[in-house]
Amino acid sequence: MRILVVEDDAEAATAMVRGLTEAGHEPTHAVDGAFGLLEAQKGGYDVYVVDRMMPRLDGIGMVETLRKDGDQTPVLFLSALGEVEDRVTGLNAGADDYLVKPYAFSELIARVEALSRRRESGSVATMLKVGELEMNLIARTVHRAGKEIDLQPREFQLLEFLMRHAGQSVTRTMLLEKVWEYHFDPQTNVIDVHISRLRAKIDKGFDHAMLQTVRGAGYRLEP
Amino acid sequence: MKLPSLLRRTPFRLTLLFLALFAAAASAILAWVYFASASEARTKAERDVRGEMQVLTGIYKERGYDALNRALIDRTLRDNSFLYLLKNPDGTQVTGSLTDFPIAEMEETQEWTTFPFTDTDVEGRVTRPQVRGVQVQLTGGGMLFVGQSLGDTEAYLARLTQALWTAMGIVLLLGLAGGVLVSRNLERAMSRLNKVVTAVQEGDLKARAVVRNSGDELDELGAGLNTMLERLEGSMASIRHAGDAIAHDLRSPLTRMRAKLEVALMDAEAGKIDGVDAVQLALDEADNLLKTFNTVLAIARLQAAAGRTPDPKVFDAADLAADMAELYEPASEDKGLEFSAEIERGLMIEGNQPFLAQALANIIDNAIKYTPTGGAVMLRARRRSSGEIEYSVTDTGPGVPEEDRERVIERFVRLDNSRTEAGSGLGLSLVGAVMEAHGGRILLDEGPGEYGGFGPGLRVALVLPAAE
Repeated sequence: MRILVVEDDAEAATAMVRGLTEAGHEPTHAVDGAFGLLEAQKGGYDVYVVDRMMPRLDGIGMVETLRKDGDQTPVLFLSALGEVEDRVTGLNAGADDYLVKPYAFSELIARVEALSRRRESGSVATMLKVGELEMNLIARTVHRAGKEIDLQPREFQLLEFLMRHAGQSVTRTMLLEKVWEYHFDPQTNVIDVHISRLRAKIDKGFDHAMLQTVRGAGYRLEP
Repeated sequence: MKLPSLLRRTPFRLTLLFLALFAAAASAILAWVYFASASEARTKAERDVRGEMQVLTGIYKERGYDALNRALIDRTLRDNSFLYLLKNPDGTQVTGSLTDFPIAEMEETQEWTTFPFTDTDVEGRVTRPQVRGVQVQLTGGGMLFVGQSLGDTEAYLARLTQALWTAMGIVLLLGLAGGVLVSRNLERAMSRLNKVVTAVQEGDLKARAVVRNSGDELDELGAGLNTMLERLEGSMASIRHAGDAIAHDLRSPLTRMRAKLEVALMDAEAGKIDGVDAVQLALDEADNLLKTFNTVLAIARLQAAAGRTPDPKVFDAADLAADMAELYEPASEDKGLEFSAEIERGLMIEGNQPFLAQALANIIDNAIKYTPTGGAVMLRARRRSSGEIEYSVTDTGPGVPEEDRERVIERFVRLDNSRTEAGSGLGLSLVGAVMEAHGGRILLDEGPGEYGGFGPGLRVALVLPAAE
């Protein structure tokens, strides 16, 4: 994936570029919003990762300009401001996701990859299929290798999110934010417990485990 | 007190302004009384003179010139208030208290005039009262003048003017004195308040204004100042408390991280473990530290908001309770606790949903953490009879002794004998900060009593005002 990193902190940018390269992406770095805008206008990027506070043109201004120009490339905002209002302002400006500094690098990668996937699945699918796992979004049924799996509504939503991001790591925070739609620190491993219940339903009794734990990151659904 | 500084004081300036207004009003009244009285005196004199003239011309008409002359002499001797002058038809003076007519002879029979008249009073002093009079041409050719002194009225007006000026002088003096007094009193009261403000500026948050409960504005200001300082001191105390909590909650993970890294370094040097494990351990501890920092930051922001809810929205408290129950039930059951929820529908509140979710999560998490396996945790959301919305979490853990409850609510901090569990001190402080920002309160009660060999349990309630 081609990723444009707009970040004025040189050290943070270097670490990010290195990390993204190691994760198999092609990052380009711009030092502020104005350069970021110029670089973005060249086109060809899959995701923009934009720092909110920068000299000259800040992240909000840059993203607003991009959206006004009709550029719909997904944007991940990075910010040291973590308050609800800040998040709302960021998302209102046209960002697709918001990550508060400091963050775990695995969280950044997971979110960047989730964003790029969001754009690919533009058409409205009625069926999701990952390996031998099939989900019917209309009938709200799930089958693995032809065997029906009975899921609670929340488990269904959880699995749907995992299937839409199959092959990618998703973090616990992402799951809480996207599946439960809450932004808070649950203190304990509540998400892990939900995952292990889901895992018991979709993996138990089958020859290989699809729902895998990614160390230091979260979970990944593999075919 | 130096005059220039006195002049700058508001109450004194107001006094001066009112005195000036009073002086203007008094002058106006004086002028009016003066002119009214003067006109009254003249009218009276004219009436008297006209009456006298009628009597005299009557004598002249009936009994002739000599009779008039006699009557005049008679009247002059009787010392009445009139002045007379009678002239022969040939123009020589005959009788009277005046040497000459005040007005030259004229064609008309009557002409009024006012002129100064030199006289001596009873004590021999020379006076120059005004005289108002009229002269009449007699049918036989002579001339008669009758006038009356306005002296009494003049003296009355002079006395009146003097009295008014004196009164004005006294009022001005008293006013000035009052102004100085009021100004000084106010100055003293203000300087007491200013002293408090200065003391606070210099860092003494314990300084308080003296309030006498007299109900005046300065007292109210003082009371307001005290309330403000109370609040400020409270926030400072909670910041200090948060600071202590950070120190505790950050020192433990930092100490653990350091120890683990040291052990890992030794193990790695001895070739016993992989460096990766050590780094992973360090990262986990760093994440814990970050969480603590975030909590502290959230508390600080809520407290900085000074009792106002950040980004408030109206939502159904029941939905939040249902979501939290759904989110925490598996974790609770995994620990071997029976989890139940009782949620009334339609509990609209206005608040910051993420912060309330966090507060609720913290007390549910706390209940799960402190309840031994085999126990139960129950989440309830209901409308109290007072109309307020109440979330409550009841557990069957050891509970909090009654004598400690107030202290727990006050600082909402983890009790010392349970400090072995991972840090919830800050978590509960955050609950306190969230409730404060929402105008809510925390209630602590005993749980259901003995349950599965433990008890009496704890019931933590978060009471919030319902949405309008």
